Amino acid sequence: MMAFNRLVTTLFCAFVLLPIVWLLYAAFLPPEAVLSASLVPTGFSLGNFADLAGTGVGRALLVSLVASGLTVFGQLVFGLLAAYAIRTGLPLLGLILLALALPSELLLIPLYRELQGFGLLDTLAALVVPFWGSPLVVFLLLQALRRLPWELVEAARLDGAGEATVVIRVLAPLLRPELLAAGVLAFAAHWNLVLYPRVVASALPTVQVFLSDLLRSKPLEWGLLGAAALVTTLPILILYVVFEKRIIRTFEASFQ
Amino acid sequence: MTRSPERAWWLALPTLLMLGTFVLFPLVSVVRYATWDWSGLSAPVPVGAGNFRRLFADAELGRSLRATLLFALLMLPAFLWLSRTIAVAIDGLRAERFIKALLFLPGLVTVGGSAIAWYSLYNPDYGLVRELTGLALPWSTEPWAGLLYIVLFTLWQSTGYGVLVVSAALKGIPSGVKEAARIDGASDAQVQRLIVTPLLRPTLLFLVVIGTVFAIQSYTAVFLLTKGAPFGSTRVVGYYLYETAFERLQLGYGAALTVLVLAATLLIAALQARILLARSRA
Repeated sequence: MMAFNRLVTTLFCAFVLLPIVWLLYAAFLPPEAVLSASLVPTGFSLGNFADLAGTGVGRALLVSLVASGLTVFGQLVFGLLAAYAIRTGLPLLGLILLALALPSELLLIPLYRELQGFGLLDTLAALVVPFWGSPLVVFLLLQALRRLPWELVEAARLDGAGEATVVIRVLAPLLRPELLAAGVLAFAAHWNLVLYPRVVASALPTVQVFLSDLLRSKPLEWGLLGAAALVTTLPILILYVVFEKRIIRTFEASFQ
Repeated sequence: MTRSPERAWWLALPTLLMLGTFVLFPLVSVVRYATWDWSGLSAPVPVGAGNFRRLFADAELGRSLRATLLFALLMLPAFLWLSRTIAVAIDGLRAERFIKALLFLPGLVTVGGSAIAWYSLYNPDYGLVRELTGLALPWSTEPWAGLLYIVLFTLWQSTGYGVLVVSAALKGIPSGVKEAARIDGASDAQVQRLIVTPLLRPTLLFLVVIGTVFAIQSYTAVFLLTKGAPFGSTRVVGYYLYETAFERLQLGYGAALTVLVLAATLLIAALQARILLARSRA
């Protein structure tokens, strides 16, 4: 039984790894090697990355970095405040959990109409502001607050600290690891939106919009596609590798 | 001098304002838009319940609901089985952390990048598998294969998430319980079946809900990989909704579809909220 489980695990790991390894490999193949389909490594080349220069990837990266960064910043600030309010007794958890299961892209049509009404279509605000109330971030931070010894907050209050001081001076530093983990997860979630940015801000292509357009316009150029995929994954990959332990632990702890 | 904890409630105002403006308001107003004939660019024309009547006569919607159901029936059991099997297999191994980190990775790799990797590997006309083996994978010609393709991609993306959740639950089972059963003469298989399985049940139920949400969200994978082809077999309802609204520019009818999908999602969400509430109070 255990041997079978291990076999399944090994096979699945290979299945997960294959596309990732292939992406890394294709990105560094010389462009002509991919076209001739000779997969014996004929050399290492940065040609694909050079070819990327004229495709607008730089602008897409900039748009996504700014949009996802601003989104996560707002989510963490608002989320910590809301999680604290719930921790002190505000009965809001039900609503938060309900919102957690609603993918924003399901509300694409009414959101489109609403942003149209505000005159925000094709602006950075359309990519950022609607995400500032994040149920996921509130949930993760609330679970973290529940693990925290509450005497710390009470002691700070006895010392005369106002609620804002408690959150900013006491809780935020204590929750730094969880804020980081929630921030990385939220960043990845926003970074990975495809249909939403396409509809509300097509004039400001994010990396996902850029990638799906590239896949459509140059389906045969594996090397170029691989390089584009790699470059646009890099920011998240770096965040993940640096904070992997923290992310997994925060994630697991909130489900225990 | 004790302060009443209620003082902090106003701190939730920014989040409430955002959720109100960008979740609750759209949730309510979409019902009104559903009574419009509206292309998104022109001024809307009220048509009463026409869009809702059209829902019942829409054969494409029927096919798309069937594709969604089929997708969920293929994906959910595999998702649960893989999550549990892998979590049990790696529990306590030295490589546990590494394997979990690896399996969680596809959920974070940009979805566009993942689509590119899958496309260039498995494309039936010019994918790597075709180049190497000459095997033309039937994704784009056989309806069942197209659906399977999206299922595999979704499993590839989300199983790491399931493994993490089950693994966390396994760690929550006190080792003393298992040891006591072993001392009483239970075999490994019996410990799994009689102790671990019942204790995992709430977690697996939670995964059913999460998996359903993943299934509802599969429209992104469909958009990137198959666009509903072949023969509409992968046109899951979320994708049909997007296509109707933003490619055929029928936002009014799309809004009626949204109401339908939302009703289903809210039902699932209410279930998920109940399960999570029960767990977070426990």
